[in-house]
Amino acid sequence: MKFTGNRALILGGSCDLAITFAKCMIEAELFPILTYRNKKGRKYISENFKDCQKKYRSLYLEFGNRDSIDSLLHQTGDDIDFMVDFVQGNLESLVASVDAEHVYSYFAENISFRAEIVKKVARIMIKRKKGRLVFISSAAAKRPNPGQGFYAAAKLASEAIYKNLGLELGGHGITTVTLRPGYIDSGRGKKFIQGHSKEVIDKVPIKRVLTKKEVAEAILFYLSNSATGFNATEIPMDGGLTSGK
Amino acid sequence: MDILEEIKNILAEILDIENRIITPETYLVRELGAESIDLLELAVAINSGFNIDVNDDKIFLRKLRQYVTEAKQQNNDLLQYLVEKFPFLSRKRLEEIVTDLEGGPALKVKDLISYIYTSKGKNHGT
Repeated sequence: MKFTGNRALILGGSCDLAITFAKCMIEAELFPILTYRNKKGRKYISENFKDCQKKYRSLYLEFGNRDSIDSLLHQTGDDIDFMVDFVQGNLESLVASVDAEHVYSYFAENISFRAEIVKKVARIMIKRKKGRLVFISSAAAKRPNPGQGFYAAAKLASEAIYKNLGLELGGHGITTVTLRPGYIDSGRGKKFIQGHSKEVIDKVPIKRVLTKKEVAEAILFYLSNSATGFNATEIPMDGGLTSGK
Repeated sequence: MDILEEIKNILAEILDIENRIITPETYLVRELGAESIDLLELAVAINSGFNIDVNDDKIFLRKLRQYVTEAKQQNNDLLQYLVEKFPFLSRKRLEEIVTDLEGGPALKVKDLISYIYTSKGKNHGT
């Protein structure tokens, strides 16, 4: 695969999928800059990249803390070719029983904050006249389970932000794509899958869950030159989960 | 290079026009046909070229008509209200803008220059 650029800002860099993806990047001789929100995240990243010290960087970014955006971008400078956004806080609650205060803060963190960082990174990319952004959404955006209404709402709103960026700046060399993975044997989905394995497998036409590695490789493809024709759109990667009834 | 020359070069590149046709009195939208995406590029170029934070709404006078309506609804002195909203523009320039609203977007090249001067903490006397 060929890439126009080398450095990718990876938001939510301490999740397992992001780490797997960053390793794929390093294999492809690209340079990942992973963000973490706390010491635990920073430690987890450094443990995972013990053998490739100079091939990545980790920087602090906490969704909801607006000062952390400027601090992050001050450290990266304008040297950002790609951005891959894995961040998503979780708010699992039935709509009729949610804590209203939590809804306000959840949307501020997961939508408004995201809009701000997307804006700032896009402006860097405008200067460079190139850039590719990949948002990692979820099959739940299309087909949420009970309790996932707010999670799905935040994903759909974020998808819209990325979609419009691709519409508005595609002519300036800046494109976006959203990937909607289904059940992955990773992160918060892993626990759910372990508790509901038969139910999950029955729902997925390919009769298996996705591996971190195959999703990470797909994301890498969507950063490549061959994939820039995919712009301002959402792509399901869920084994057919959301295509049927 | 002075600010006007630099702005002219930036606009010429973004809008693909000759920089000699641009003067401080040139209207960006009415005469040069700048669209919202061009203004976005312009904001980024000004941010980068002059090393200042750019508030797109302020520098491009985006809320001008809203402020005019607000001032009238609240029975405020219109010019005083606009002076508070656009501190980088002189009273004289705001008077000019108010009488020019019917002709379309009033933004001129010299307004960008005022914004840049003010942001850089300089007084250019307009």
